Amino acid sequence: MDLSLLLQAITSGLLSSGLYALVAIGLALAIGVIGIVNFAHGEFFMIGAFLTYQLAVSLGFDPLLSILVVAPLLFLLGAFLYRTTVHYVLGAPELNQMLLTFGLGIILQNLALLVWGGDPRTVPSIPYRSLSFNIGDVTVGAVMLGSFVISMLLVLGLYWLLYRTPLGRGMRAVAQSRIGASLVGLNVDRTYLVTFAVSAALAGIGGVMIAVIQSPSPTVGLTFTLKAFAIVVLAGLGNIRGIIWASVLVALAESLIANLVPNGDSLRNAVFFSIIFLVLILRGRRPA
Amino acid sequence: MSPLRRVLPHVVVLAVFAVLLWFLPGTIRALFGQASVSYVTLVTNAASLAILALSWDLLARTGQVSLAHAAFFGAGAYSTALLSRFADVPLWLGIPLGGVVAGLIALALGPVTLRLHGIYFAIATLSFTEVLRAVVHQLPSRIAGGAPGLNVPALFRPTFVAGEMERWEVAFIRNEGYFLIYAAVLVFTLLLSIIIQRTRLRYAFTAVRTNQEVAAVMGVNPARTKLLAFVLSSVPVGLLGAVAAHRFGSVNPFETFSIHTTVLALVTPIFGGLYTTVGPLLGATVLAGIEETLRRSLDSGYMIAYGVVLVFAVLFMPRGLVGLLGKLFRRRREAAK
Repeated sequence: MDLSLLLQAITSGLLSSGLYALVAIGLALAIGVIGIVNFAHGEFFMIGAFLTYQLAVSLGFDPLLSILVVAPLLFLLGAFLYRTTVHYVLGAPELNQMLLTFGLGIILQNLALLVWGGDPRTVPSIPYRSLSFNIGDVTVGAVMLGSFVISMLLVLGLYWLLYRTPLGRGMRAVAQSRIGASLVGLNVDRTYLVTFAVSAALAGIGGVMIAVIQSPSPTVGLTFTLKAFAIVVLAGLGNIRGIIWASVLVALAESLIANLVPNGDSLRNAVFFSIIFLVLILRGRRPA
Repeated sequence: MSPLRRVLPHVVVLAVFAVLLWFLPGTIRALFGQASVSYVTLVTNAASLAILALSWDLLARTGQVSLAHAAFFGAGAYSTALLSRFADVPLWLGIPLGGVVAGLIALALGPVTLRLHGIYFAIATLSFTEVLRAVVHQLPSRIAGGAPGLNVPALFRPTFVAGEMERWEVAFIRNEGYFLIYAAVLVFTLLLSIIIQRTRLRYAFTAVRTNQEVAAVMGVNPARTKLLAFVLSSVPVGLLGAVAAHRFGSVNPFETFSIHTTVLALVTPIFGGLYTTVGPLLGATVLAGIEETLRRSLDSGYMIAYGVVLVFAVLFMPRGLVGLLGKLFRRRREAAK
C-alpha cells in the first residue's frame, strides 16, 4: 500500500474529528444533563449551515463572522424549542420524548426545504476555501485545519464551562440528580433551558463550518444526527468525557475506508451506521 | 368463548369492508367521471399509509418502536425488481415473495436487536436501514443497478383503443388495478391485526409492553412474542414495497429506502391512536387528505405536516384520534343522562 496515501487518510480523518466532536458533544450534553435523546440535533446543525449561506448571500458575511451571529440565533432557537415543547415531556416516557424531538426534526428539515429548496447550496466567494499547504507528501487544507482548531477550542471551552464555572457545576449537579439539585436551591428548569440552548448553539457553529467545507442540502441534518449518535453511543450514552476519543476513532475509520477501499467514498455513511449498529448490539449483550 | 367465536364477528365486519373497497373505484368513477383518476390515486395513497401504520402498530403493541419500516419496504421492492429481472418469475408471484423476503429479514434482525429497549432499538433499526441502503447502493450495478436503480415492469398495461374508450379511462383502469392490490394487502394487514387483538396474543403483547419481567413470570416468552410481532409487522410492508415498485416503475437506493416511509409509518398510528385497529386506519385517512391538500400548493416540504402532527399528538393527544373521539362520545352519553 502507498504510505503517503495512508498518511493522507489519517491526517484528513484526524482533521474532521474536531467537527464531529463538536456536534456530538452537544448531543451528549442534552442526553447527559437533560436526559433527552434529541433526534433534532442535526437539524440545528443544518439550520446553522443555511443561515451561514443566507448571511453570505444577502449581507456578504464571511463565515467566520457568521459564527458570531449564528451561535446566538441557534441558542435562542434551542431555548425557544425547549420552552415551548421539550419542557412539557420531561416527565413523559422516554419514547414520547424521542418522538417529540423526531417531530421537531421533521419540522425543521421541511422548513428549510420550504425556504431554501432541496438543492445543495454553496457559500460564495470564500477567499481561503482552496488554501492548503504541504507537510511532506501530506496536503492539509486550511479550512479543515481551521475547523479542527475552532471545534477543539469550543469542545475544550465546554469542558471548562462544565468543570470550572458555577453554571457548569449546576449542569453537572442537575445531571446527577434533578431532585437533589432543586433541594439545594438550583433552578433546574433554567439549567435545562440553558443546556438545551448551548447544545443547539454548538451544533449551529458546526453547521457554519460544514457550510464552508461542503455544499450542504437540507437533508444533511439527519445524517449528522446519526453520525453524532454513533459517536455518543461509542463513548457511552451521556458520557461527555469520552466524546473526543470516540470522535477520533470514528473519523479515522471513516477516512481510512473512504480513501483506501476502492469505490469507498459512498461507504462513508455506512461506516457510521455499522458502528452504531454493532456497538448497540454488543453493548446490549451486557445486562443493562 | 372459543377463539374462533371471538374472531369471527370481526372477520365478518372486515369482509364487508373488503367488499366496500372492491366497489370503491367503480363508485368513484360513477360519481366523478374524469376526475376519478386522481381520486383513485388518493385512496390508493391512503391505503398505502394505512398498511404502513397498521403494520408498524403491530410491533408497537409489544412496546418496541421500530425505525426499520423503510428497510422492509425497500427489501420487498428490490426483491420483486430483481426477481422480475433475473428469474423468470411471473409478476404476480414477485409480490408475495417480497413479503416473504421482508419477513425473513425481520426473522434474522429480530433476535439481535429486539433485546434493546426504547431509543436503543429505534436507533439500531434506523442504522440497519441505512446499512442495507448502502449495501444495495454498493452492489455491482449489473445486479442491483447502483445509484440510478432498476426499472420494474408495470403490472397493468391497459391498451388504448381509439373509439372504444377515452384516454382517461385507460389511466383509470390502471389506477383501479393497483388500488385493488393495495386494498388486498390492507385487508390482509387488518386480518393480522384483528387476529392479534381478539386472541390471547393480545394479552401477551400487552404484557410484554407494560412489563417484561411480569410477562415472563406469567408464562409469556418476551423474546418470542416480540419476534413474532416483528415478523408479522414486516411482511405487509414487504408486500407494499413490492406492489409500489411495480406501480412507480422503478427502484433506487434513495427513494426506495427513504426515511419518509419510516416517518409515515410511525406518525400515522400515533396520530390515529396506538394499539388499535381502527386508529391507524383513521389516522391514515385523515393524513392522506392533509398531505394531498398540501402537496397541491407546495412542491417540497409538505412532510412538515407530519412533523407538526407528531409534535401535536405527543403533546396534546396521547391516545390519538381514537382516544379523542372516545372522550367526546363518553361526554355526550353522560350529558344525555
